[in-house]
Amino acid sequence: MTLVFQSLRKEYGEVVAIDDVSTAFAPGMIHGVIGPNGAGKSTLINMTAGSYTVSSGSITLDGKRLDKLKKYQIANSGIARTYQNIRLFDQMTVIENLEVCFYPAEVAGTWKEVVWPPYATARRQRRREKCMEILRFFDLQGYAEVDAGGLPYGRQRMLEIARALICNPRVLLLDEPAAGLNHHETADLTAKLTALRSPDRIMIVVEHDMDLVMTLCDSIIVMHHGKLLFRGTPAEVQASADVQLAYLGTANDIDDIRAAAQDRRAQLGIRTRRRS
Amino acid sequence: MSVAEARTAVRPRSSRIVPLLVFAITIALIVATPFLPNYYVRVVNSLLIYILLGIGLNIVIGYTGLLDLGFVAFYAVGAYTYALLASPQFDLHLPFLLILVIAACLGAITGILLGIPVLRLRGDYLAIVTLGFGEIIRIIINNLDWLTGGPQGIARLDKASILGLQIARPVDFFWLLLVVVVVAGVVAWRLEHSILGKAWAAIREDQDAARGVGINTTNAKLAAFATSATIGSIAGAIFGASQRFVSPESFTLQESVLIVLMIVVGGIGNILGIVAGAAILILLPEVLREFAEWRILFLGLLMIFLIIVRPAGIVPRSFGPEKLIRGLFGK
Repeated sequence: MTLVFQSLRKEYGEVVAIDDVSTAFAPGMIHGVIGPNGAGKSTLINMTAGSYTVSSGSITLDGKRLDKLKKYQIANSGIARTYQNIRLFDQMTVIENLEVCFYPAEVAGTWKEVVWPPYATARRQRRREKCMEILRFFDLQGYAEVDAGGLPYGRQRMLEIARALICNPRVLLLDEPAAGLNHHETADLTAKLTALRSPDRIMIVVEHDMDLVMTLCDSIIVMHHGKLLFRGTPAEVQASADVQLAYLGTANDIDDIRAAAQDRRAQLGIRTRRRS
Repeated sequence: MSVAEARTAVRPRSSRIVPLLVFAITIALIVATPFLPNYYVRVVNSLLIYILLGIGLNIVIGYTGLLDLGFVAFYAVGAYTYALLASPQFDLHLPFLLILVIAACLGAITGILLGIPVLRLRGDYLAIVTLGFGEIIRIIINNLDWLTGGPQGIARLDKASILGLQIARPVDFFWLLLVVVVVAGVVAWRLEHSILGKAWAAIREDQDAARGVGINTTNAKLAAFATSATIGSIAGAIFGASQRFVSPESFTLQESVLIVLMIVVGGIGNILGIVAGAAILILLPEVLREFAEWRILFLGLLMIFLIIVRPAGIVPRSFGPEKLIRGLFGK
């Protein structure tokens, strides 16, 4: 199982956001996507998940074309995602946010649920057990009946990942999962994501937190002006002069890359709390 | 029901008293209605019809979050289905139950027909298009004289009967409506809690994220439009049978707005809210009948008052039928 981008291109009128990107992602690994602002990282995620259309080229999973499918069909092909700006179902409870993901598998039995209560109860119970399992993994079990919109920010991030995971996706796309998290929460996230690495799952993480990317990822691609600039292991990326040039123009130190990431957070209006 | 009572209705500490009170009032009303003069029975019947319409429209507005201002069209479809199939108009006299089934099917089809073109629309745009749809249906009925009798409407509709049992007096319709309202309420409530209902809620909260978790929003929305229209159409057929006369005047935009208002005042997405909203908006004008020219003013003031003190409706979403029942048994 591999996810393959073939000559992928995305244009907005005159602007070329993604320019001829060809690469492949293997299962069992966590792939990082980094690059300066406007490099096209989120566009890649959005095209893979079907939020954006593809201008030309193709995206295939296991040889099956994804880019011609509708967004919900892509999701049902085993692609799950989180969003840069958290998008939960705010006025639904935490557990309902997960339960609703069983819709594609269970909608056919809706009328049976309506007319035959014992069937509905049994099915609901089965559904909720699976959800509680995931919630426990993300330490959210105590919040199951709370409205998702009322959760603290860090918990909302976790819930979004839980929602992406509930249907056991083959591809998990995480768009800046650590944005806005404090150091403690980021460490927790790193541990959880590491635990989620599985031989039959492709994980792709777009992230500006370089510490997180370098510790978490097995393989990193670097985007720059919509092009794939570099691909390699974290060590290779850190050693690459090209990458440093892309990020900073002149600098020669990974610390400066971190500084650039900090600037980016400041731009996004996200305050990073220091460890006390 | 006064606003003060309604306010206490949501306090968790009164969780036992309020359900008992609501239950007692409901039972008293049901037991008393058959003994009331016909005029009052008709008022209760009209209340029940509006509750039924509210339950239907709430599926689209409350559960799925799509503002539909043309709901009265489905009500008209149901009423005219009865009028055309059980009157001297074409000398057709089908049995009432069969017409109910036909009306339900026609309602569902019209619901889907409306649903398809508006799938991409939300919010204000959807409201305007559905409003237009409601008017289109009314104007078609008004002008299609050979079929609908035009502005004169269709008169002398058959008396309804179910399996030989004649349904003609207001009190007969009271029992019929009561059964239909309870069935529709239970179905709507169970739908809300089904997996489809959760998908509707997800669409309401964030349509794009709903697609992202694999929900076919097209189908889910069409299902909402179809179920909602089915209930509206059934309400229309019963209305036609009880009035034994239909004309386009009964299906104006004002009716659509009134049903939306009931839902908003009562509490969006909550069946108990619809009952409360209908009670206020249908019964109040009757109570204030002596002050005819002041009625609209009273209603306006009440709206302003409610919007200030209870912007989310009289009964909040969290106080649903399950809470009421649980409170009743002291659990």
